[in-house]
Amino acid sequence: MQMTKWLTGAVAAGLIMSNGTAIARTVGPAGEAATPSAEVTLSDADIAALKDKGYKAALLWHTSSDFTNAVGQGATDEFKRAGIDIAVTTDAQFDAARQRSDIETALAAKPNVILALPLDPVTSAEAFRQAVTDGAKLVFLSNVPKGYKHGTDYAAIVTDDLFQMGKQAADALAKSIDGKGTVGYIFHDATYYVTNQRDQAFKSTIEKDYPDIKIVAEQGISDPARAEELANAMLLKNPDLDGIYVTWAEPADGVLAALRGAGNTKTKIVTLDLAEPVALDMVKGGNVTALVADKAYELGRAMAAAGMKSLLGQETPAFVVAPALTVTKDNVSQGWKDSLNRDAPQSVLDAAK
Amino acid sequence: MSSTNQGAAVRAAGLAGRVNLQQYVVYFGFLAIFLFFAIMLKDSGFLTVRNLSNIVLQTAPATIMAIGLVFVMSAGEIDLSIGSTVAVAALAAAVTMQSYGMVPGIAAGLGCGLLIGLVNGVLVAYVRLPSFLVTLATLGLFAGVSRSLTDLRSIPVTNETFTGFFGSGALFGIPSLIWWTAIAVAIGHILYRETRFGAHVLAVGDNARAASVSGISVPKMRLAVLMISGALAGLAGLLYAGRLQAAKYTLGETDLMTVIAAVIVGGTLLNGGKGSIIGALVGSLMMGMLNNGLILMGLSVSDQMIVRGLIILAAVAVSLREKSR
Amino acid sequence: MNATAEAMTGRPVLALKDIRKTFGGVVAIENFSLEVHPGEIVALVGDNGAGKSTLIKIISGVHPPTSGSIAIEGEPVAMSSATMARAHGIEVVYQDLALADQQTVYMNMFLGREPTKAFGLLDRRRMIDETEKLVKELDVRIPSAHATIRDLSGGQRQGVAIARATHWASKLILLDEPTAALGVAETAKVEEIVAALKTRNIGVLIISHSLDQVFKLSDRICVLRRGKQIGVRETKKTDKNEIIAMITGLQQS
Repeated sequence: MQMTKWLTGAVAAGLIMSNGTAIARTVGPAGEAATPSAEVTLSDADIAALKDKGYKAALLWHTSSDFTNAVGQGATDEFKRAGIDIAVTTDAQFDAARQRSDIETALAAKPNVILALPLDPVTSAEAFRQAVTDGAKLVFLSNVPKGYKHGTDYAAIVTDDLFQMGKQAADALAKSIDGKGTVGYIFHDATYYVTNQRDQAFKSTIEKDYPDIKIVAEQGISDPARAEELANAMLLKNPDLDGIYVTWAEPADGVLAALRGAGNTKTKIVTLDLAEPVALDMVKGGNVTALVADKAYELGRAMAAAGMKSLLGQETPAFVVAPALTVTKDNVSQGWKDSLNRDAPQSVLDAAK
Repeated sequence: MSSTNQGAAVRAAGLAGRVNLQQYVVYFGFLAIFLFFAIMLKDSGFLTVRNLSNIVLQTAPATIMAIGLVFVMSAGEIDLSIGSTVAVAALAAAVTMQSYGMVPGIAAGLGCGLLIGLVNGVLVAYVRLPSFLVTLATLGLFAGVSRSLTDLRSIPVTNETFTGFFGSGALFGIPSLIWWTAIAVAIGHILYRETRFGAHVLAVGDNARAASVSGISVPKMRLAVLMISGALAGLAGLLYAGRLQAAKYTLGETDLMTVIAAVIVGGTLLNGGKGSIIGALVGSLMMGMLNNGLILMGLSVSDQMIVRGLIILAAVAVSLREKSR
Repeated sequence: MNATAEAMTGRPVLALKDIRKTFGGVVAIENFSLEVHPGEIVALVGDNGAGKSTLIKIISGVHPPTSGSIAIEGEPVAMSSATMARAHGIEVVYQDLALADQQTVYMNMFLGREPTKAFGLLDRRRMIDETEKLVKELDVRIPSAHATIRDLSGGQRQGVAIARATHWASKLILLDEPTAALGVAETAKVEEIVAALKTRNIGVLIISHSLDQVFKLSDRICVLRRGKQIGVRETKKTDKNEIIAMITGLQQS
């Protein structure tokens, strides 16, 4: 019963997780099998064939963050190998209308490849129509416009391994509390499949793989600024929590503040995405025990590679997944490089020495 | 020519020169930015018909919001709530249309705009709260309403008559969004410049006491301008819904600052008493062109924001300096 | 024209009788009676707080009197707003002039009463023509009817405010400290304009702190002290000393 409910939720969210007997995996919106991003590569001959063609690329995001920067950097570096310039970069700031305007504007530069982070399937469907008509090769990140077909409308969808991120968060938290105890679960209370899938994967992993760990408190959050008060309430009711899962790094700051305010050094936190405040707490041996990140730079590289394959008329995998990465105190320096392709913040490196 | 006459002539010329400059800052700015992009981006598709018409189409909703804001600011008030009115109206239209068809959908969208304008107007005009605070509060309030009512989902708009009428359609070969802009600008301009209503709006913003002792109902004018602004933001919401064939709570979120900048650059005083609908139109086109050109220049997103901010700052500084001597 | 003027001389444009005004038990004005005739300038003088502004508000319809009667050309009227006073032909030139600074002279002349032509469109031509005619008649020296108020000097603004009142007043103009903020030359100019109003067959009630001005302009002087009417004198038959004594109360008449 519970499984049915969970599956329905996941379908509504856009992607389906096939729940195999051994391990669950992330699959595409139409049930496509995931191709590991490492398999999407260009040969030297491919690179040579792309050079000096005057190809141009466009990066159309709907937000600006460490994540999109790293994806953009990965894509730019990969394109550069084939001499392809990034003609335009845009950020629609979550505004559906602006997304459409950005696409129209970008098309004036006549890009041959467009890497895009669509805002959501419904509002992006009409917005990207002109790009399809103009014949640009589209590679989508995480989301796909409603009704678009692989091969004819777009070249590939690339996404981070959402299920693995949630699962690795569960594994890391379980490890830090020796596989038993009580945990709190702070999930993103909004219909956004990226966080929804990660949150669900954490929960199902704990329930399935760790029978001695009980989720005793669940709290949805939509505004990260309220994380501290929500965490305070949760700790008031459950002062002896062994661990807390927080849906992403920003609200984790608030949870951390609540724990510090209560003088609590025992409860472990695990959260997703790399950010300086939580990383600093982690390397200083505070409450944060692990951060699970995606390989954003690798995502960007794979997007560019898929787009270029499409330009060459080669087959492109419908659904590409970049791996997840668990970052702890021991691998924080390397973790930052693997995920975001840059050095960890100086404060974190200093504290880790 | 006698010396007195010469003096008068010089003074008149000085006056005329100053007046001209003050009124035409936005036109010079528009022209300068256009020429800059035309030269810099001649190989990047900026000057293509499609790109230029895109700029006009993309700015249509912002232009229509700007018209409402010219009335509000001329009356010495501000309306920040247009930022969320757009989304509420678009969502109300989209949801209503799914069950009841196009006309009720349009009515729902415009009705929401008017209603929000009414709420703002009553609080500002009759409860005597500052419009900045009232509309800042309703901006947040209605953003929350549109989020909670739709559960953050996007609502598709499939009625093709509607999407043609408000979005992708055309009449006599001219896109419907351009028609809407032209009609709104024409009516707005006449109402603002050539009717007693417009004169009274300006009088209220210029000197509310003088307006009041001259028999103008100051509260009624304040209510009226905020309702106009709400209704036009509602119309902008319909245009977005038509253009995107969908509505989402984030619609219009990034428009508020653009619209305010367009109106100020277009020669409307923040403190009221003076403004221009045509200036706001050109200001809005200038903002759209700026977005478009900076993207096509291949700047990074952060650099686009910095350059855009600096240009707006310069334009606003020049137009305000000219006016406040 | 002349015949009409003479015929109306007998009947005051404004007659106040036993006006009393209290604000929550505090008496602001009591037993005030005054008549203003067409073509006559009456000055209202008194120290600060004597009740001059309360009286202006009563005459301009802002505050109705607690008791007493107001008659305009012999007809008793009850006024509950400035709009009603204006409808009765009473115009006020406020101390702050009540001009919209960023609008043109002609828009200010017609503020709130703009004429329209077909489709409710503003009749600018008419406003401009009438403004130009009037400022010429009154000799208010402004650059043009198109000039913006903020570009005018203090005297010019005062001139515009008086011209506006003159344009609309059919019975009475109230002038509240018309030269308080002006320099010597500008004051002289405004006094000229006010003196010229006598020929227009309307009553003028002027409030002023300057006794020189009062003696220069007025036909009669009405003195108020602490809300009480001390007396009315014909300007020709009194002198400054008597008026000062009445204002200060040092010597009762």
